[in-house]
Amino acid sequence: MKMSLNFIAYLVYLPIVILLTWYVAHTLFKNSKAFMLDIFRGNAEIALSTNKLFETGFYLLNLGYALLIMEIAREIYDGRTLMEILSTKIGGFSIYLGIMLFFNLYLFFRGRRISRERAKHVVVAKVTDKDTSGDR
Amino acid sequence: MNTFAYIIYLFLTYLITVHVGLIFYRNGRVYILRLLHGDEKLTDFINRILLTGYYLLNLGYAALMISFWKTVYTWTEMMTTISIKTGQIMLTLAVIHFCNMGIILFISHRHHPIVNNKN
Repeated sequence: MKMSLNFIAYLVYLPIVILLTWYVAHTLFKNSKAFMLDIFRGNAEIALSTNKLFETGFYLLNLGYALLIMEIAREIYDGRTLMEILSTKIGGFSIYLGIMLFFNLYLFFRGRRISRERAKHVVVAKVTDKDTSGDR
Repeated sequence: MNTFAYIIYLFLTYLITVHVGLIFYRNGRVYILRLLHGDEKLTDFINRILLTGYYLLNLGYAALMISFWKTVYTWTEMMTTISIKTGQIMLTLAVIHFCNMGIILFISHRHHPIVNNKN
């Protein structure tokens, strides 16, 4: 009876996944502050709050998913199978993380576009207001 | 073995819940303040009640989940079960969190667009 390597696989999988998530979230939300300030037009308090809330949600979602898919159903007995299974799992998770990253970026760009359109409307409304009051 | 697993699991979920709850408590205050037009007293009151409700809901849910555990015999099984259960809790938290943010967005859109009321 050889000892199964599943436990070692978990010990390798967990730190890699946690570090990966931390790195992605850290990079994404450090740079998203500029977007948030743009979306909320320089209102720093609410922009930073929203940023932090999104960051927490991102961590919860991705770490939760990583923990959920951790289980390896079959027994691993040799190094080769260990490598193969680990690479499949970590690769799959990286792709998922990449998709989430781009989805978040899309949300930021969309928010900025909407905010700019609204700003334009406000400016236009103000200008027309001035025009009509000037006519009177 | 199960008792040990329960202790680790409860400790982990407790840490996550309290940490996340504090983050929400600190950062959610601005929104409630905005919705109540700057009424600080009422805001702090509502915020604290929301925090308490959140703790009750999540810790209760985490404790309830324990009754669905299978018996664990080895370290590997224990680690698997703990990670799956913690993952479930975290995903539930994430879903609730995004629902909440959606609701806040909805309410603020109905009252006044949250982006525009600075001018």
